Amino acid sequence: MATPSTPPGDGSQKGFDRIAIPTPDGQTRSLTKTEFENLPLSERVKLLMGGGLQFFRGDKPITAREALRGA
Amino acid sequence: MPARDIEAAAAAIVERSQERFRTYRQEVFKDTDRLFAYLMMGQWLFGIALALTLSPYAWEGKVKTTHAHVWAAAVLGGLLSSLPIALAFLRPGWVVTRHVIAFAQMLWSALLIHLTGGRIETHFHVFGSLGFLTAYRDWPVLITATLVVAAEHLIRGLLWPESVYGITNPEWWRFLEHAFWVAFANSFLAVICVRGVKDLRIMAERSAELEALSEGEWRKSSVLDRAEPVAVAAGV
Repeated sequence: MATPSTPPGDGSQKGFDRIAIPTPDGQTRSLTKTEFENLPLSERVKLLMGGGLQFFRGDKPITAREALRGA
Repeated sequence: MPARDIEAAAAAIVERSQERFRTYRQEVFKDTDRLFAYLMMGQWLFGIALALTLSPYAWEGKVKTTHAHVWAAAVLGGLLSSLPIALAFLRPGWVVTRHVIAFAQMLWSALLIHLTGGRIETHFHVFGSLGFLTAYRDWPVLITATLVVAAEHLIRGLLWPESVYGITNPEWWRFLEHAFWVAFANSFLAVICVRGVKDLRIMAERSAELEALSEGEWRKSSVLDRAEPVAVAAGV
């Protein structure tokens, strides 16, 4: 999984606002939290297992665990 | 990581999530069944105390006898409470258990209303009970309760209006007015039930997402662990 280029959030806020998903053609697809949550669970699970997702709170990258724990 | 492996692992995680969701719901049903069992016991004692306080004795000529209300509270109340209590402890979480509890709870409202001579304030027991039944997070239970209270008000209103409204000549459609307010309360309580179930599903899915994350990390680290000795052996 990609390491955030800036330090992760301090945990005082919860959840994430946006997620960047790498696509097979090397591009990234950006989804809001609601769009991500509306994906079928099986698809979310496969994306999370595949790794490479980047979560954002505002413009700040955060770790996947921090994003999901506070979601 | 082979796509087939990911598919199989993802399917297993989703299945565990669904199982977790079913377990959460069953826990809610069982906990609420137990709460109602204690409420049924409490209502029985309360009904008897109420009858003893309001109308302990009647007179047949010069003979002082126990009033029929006391027997109604003790015997009828016992019958009303016994099946729900038995089901709550013997078959907790069963769909029939919560519908029997809803049925009995509404009949408890009827009995308490009767014991207080159709006192309007006792009708609040109906609304309190609907709130308690919402703890199941299962809206069909509210439908059962509503049908029972509407039918009971209709029948008793026609046969013994004083017992339910405290007056002898209410309009025949009075039960509809009561049923309307029950439906009014239910319209909101049903939404709370649906949201409650959604919350349980979100909890189960969140666990699945964290599990998927850990599984992905573990698989990645396993690949790296296997790759390291090969790289060392190859002098890389």
